[in-house]
Amino acid sequence: MRTRRRLSAVLLVGALVLAACGGGDETETADSESPAAAPTGSDTGSGSEAPPPASGEAETTMVANEAGCGDNKVESIEATSDTEVVFTLCSPDPAFLQKIAFVVFAIQPSEYLAETGGAPLEAPVGTGPFVLENWNRGSEITFTRNQDYWGEAPAFETLVFRWAEESAQRITEVQSGNAQYGTNISAPDYELVNADDNLVLLEDLNPNVFYMGFTNTFEPFDNPDVRRAIAMGIDRQRIVDTYYPEGSEVPDFFTPCQIENGCVGDPWYDFDPEAAQALLADAGYPDGFDTTIHLRDVFRVYLPEPQTVAQEIQTQLAENLNINAEINVMESGAFIGEVSEGNLDGIHLLGWGADYPHVTNFLDYHFAGNVQFGDPYPDIVSALAEGAAEVDPAAAEPIYEEVNNLIRDEVPMVPIAHGAAADVASASLGNASVPPFGAPQFKTFQPEADPLVFVQNAEPISLYCSDESDGESLSACEQVLEGLYQYDAEGNAVPALAEECAPNEDGTVWTCSLREGVTFHDGSDFDAGDVVATWAAGMDASSPLHTGNTGGFEYYTYLWGGLMNAPAVEPTEGATETATSTETGSETTSEAPTGSETPTESES
Amino acid sequence: MGAGSGGEQAGGPGGADSLASQEAAQQRRTGDSVTRRSTGLAEGDEPSDDELLDEPLSVWRLAMRRFFRRKLGVLGLAIVTLLALVALTAPIIAPYDPIQQLDRVEGTDVARRDAPSAEHLLGLDSNARDQLSRIIYGARLSLPLGVSIVLAAIIVGASIGAIAGFFGGWLDTILMRLMDVILGFPALVLAIAIAYVLGNAIQNVLIAVAVVTLPQYARVMRASVLSIKEVDFVAASEALGASSWRMLRTRILPNALTPLIVLGTLGIAGAILEAAALSFLGLGAQPPTPEWGSMLAQEYTLIRTYPHLVIYPGLAIMVTVLGFNLLGDGLRDALDPSLNE
Repeated sequence: MRTRRRLSAVLLVGALVLAACGGGDETETADSESPAAAPTGSDTGSGSEAPPPASGEAETTMVANEAGCGDNKVESIEATSDTEVVFTLCSPDPAFLQKIAFVVFAIQPSEYLAETGGAPLEAPVGTGPFVLENWNRGSEITFTRNQDYWGEAPAFETLVFRWAEESAQRITEVQSGNAQYGTNISAPDYELVNADDNLVLLEDLNPNVFYMGFTNTFEPFDNPDVRRAIAMGIDRQRIVDTYYPEGSEVPDFFTPCQIENGCVGDPWYDFDPEAAQALLADAGYPDGFDTTIHLRDVFRVYLPEPQTVAQEIQTQLAENLNINAEINVMESGAFIGEVSEGNLDGIHLLGWGADYPHVTNFLDYHFAGNVQFGDPYPDIVSALAEGAAEVDPAAAEPIYEEVNNLIRDEVPMVPIAHGAAADVASASLGNASVPPFGAPQFKTFQPEADPLVFVQNAEPISLYCSDESDGESLSACEQVLEGLYQYDAEGNAVPALAEECAPNEDGTVWTCSLREGVTFHDGSDFDAGDVVATWAAGMDASSPLHTGNTGGFEYYTYLWGGLMNAPAVEPTEGATETATSTETGSETTSEAPTGSETPTESES
Repeated sequence: MGAGSGGEQAGGPGGADSLASQEAAQQRRTGDSVTRRSTGLAEGDEPSDDELLDEPLSVWRLAMRRFFRRKLGVLGLAIVTLLALVALTAPIIAPYDPIQQLDRVEGTDVARRDAPSAEHLLGLDSNARDQLSRIIYGARLSLPLGVSIVLAAIIVGASIGAIAGFFGGWLDTILMRLMDVILGFPALVLAIAIAYVLGNAIQNVLIAVAVVTLPQYARVMRASVLSIKEVDFVAASEALGASSWRMLRTRILPNALTPLIVLGTLGIAGAILEAAALSFLGLGAQPPTPEWGSMLAQEYTLIRTYPHLVIYPGLAIMVTVLGFNLLGDGLRDALDPSLNE
């Protein structure tokens, strides 16, 4: 009896090994250069019928969209060897590297994912500079230095994450020496920091834009001259000078200049109330008109004082253009919902914080078909489609120049400000800075004392960041986990676990050569199977490991055009759902670091 | 046994006189009590002998007299009167336009959030508007709003209570259970829900707060009607052939008003507070309307750095609520002398 069981076990293991080898063979025969020739089926472990692989079993070597591309951007992800992964896209994506550098796509060991059933919520295992030591729920998270880190190991032993909801609390923590670094300081609190020699303000350069949007399906905003008149009739310099903290800028373009190709073309209109009034009169509104300014009273870096700025705009509209605007402060969720469906008659005040450093993150989301501004502007949509197919930034520059000029001409919105934010640190904390993307890179910090204590806005929700979108969770994950690429201190996407990801000629196939000799915190070796398994767990809706915390996997959905092998939905509902989830994802994430300020400030 | 029997024994031959004087004293005491009851006088309000000889005072005049003898009630009246005057004369006494951004005015050297100064006694708000002027204009909104809410709630609530109490039966059951349903919700939560459904506007705040407060007026009115309709003069009206509506209108309602007046005065304070709370939550007055609750909402995060922006609107709400509460307490003491016995 026992012998028969042993025999069965040996046969089973043998069968699995053969299956794994078979998958590899199949992959090798596929032409990775040719998307058409790439197998579309799901390989081991990715199909809904395949059981989750147990620890030590054969790894997933490929995940693919069985029903073809549809709206998805990724067709398949395949481990062609232990050190090579091939991403086959449905269409070129010039922002591929910038997207995969996002910590949401950080890699965890395939065995560990299987052990945890696809939900390693509390104890992530990564390759990062810090190892999670302990998460004392409600109190703090402790990390220790990863002695075997493949890069330069941190200069200190222990990193502690704590949280405090109010900006003033965070300042007090640093002032009192309980912490060395606090995030997201409210602008009125700058004075407190500047008045204390032991503290320094660290400028946060996360690219963002605040704008006033028009829905062109409502009168009189269907008239381009009305929109242009408002563009000229708003004194944006006064708004930035009066209501924004130091370091904020008046935009010349919708996209901030830190983003490559964001600032090409003709700069925005100068403030000229006389010309604006003349234009409005020519448009048939010599006496102005009545409208509504819709907003939500939620603090964001791009709009630190929503009601105050709304009243300033209301006053300017009345004084400069004779436009009588009522202010309608809406509940945040309802506001976003109505905006994303293009239902708001009037002007809406909203903004955008960058998710990843690429111009498509600003322009494509807003102007490549989004109904937020009413009927999409066909000339802008077609130019953006052209830009999205161009992987080479230099070659894309004239395209985005045209796009920016078209936006200036059509005026679907008026960009008002690029808001600045700041963190606070102890003056003795060496090498402290805020990167434009992601959390502070504590591995490079030089604290006087050990441990280094960091105070952020709120406690993380979970530390399985594939399925999280709040800034607090992501900043903790970034200390432990790494992706194929990561953002450097200037916000560029640079190789991390990949030595390089190179596109084919048309930008539809990206081949990533992986870094060798990297080990996870649990001692297991990093290889291509881990990459495929991690992406399959996040992106393949049919995977048994597609579990997560809420199962939403918002960033996989948002950045890659939806999940692979997702259950079919009714066409109309599907369209609505996509629009909503997209907005939710970006709203949550792009503004997440400041979003936690919301509970205090949005209660009003 | 006690003092009386002791006195009788000690009295001796003079015992009969003593007994008579005791009876007279007893009679006086009883008479006093009757007088007090019939005139509604409290212990400390005994009229002097001269007054007893004067023309009898009406219940209202006596109430007024009692009211003005209580300093706190008078203080409440003074606050409310002052606030009413401020509201009425706002365009005259306010030093600036409440929605004028003063940093836009040429030749001025002011910045938003300027601290209180001789030119701007309560400082400037985050949009560089004079805060004193905004608070003065806020009275113009909050006071009429509080009074309107209570009037609306009294008119509807008292009518429901009167009908329920007077006619009784199934009508009473249905109406009062309906009131119980409203009372079953936490008032502010229900008001938020109503205001949210109706939309962000000050008139919707009026409706929301009036709806959540009307059950208390209905219950008080019903209780008054139930007790008054058993009194003899109502039975006499009925015997003389008066119709139900006539009895309700001319006999019962006038006699049931006293508790409503007290409750209504106190209710204004609560209504102003709830309306400010709704505006604080963004459901009431919309910017740039100078409303105390929305002024607080806009600035409350600045309490550490610019406390004047938060303290003064808060004080305005507090003083107004205090004024109406003191006035209400004074009226209750004056109109319900049983509390003083």
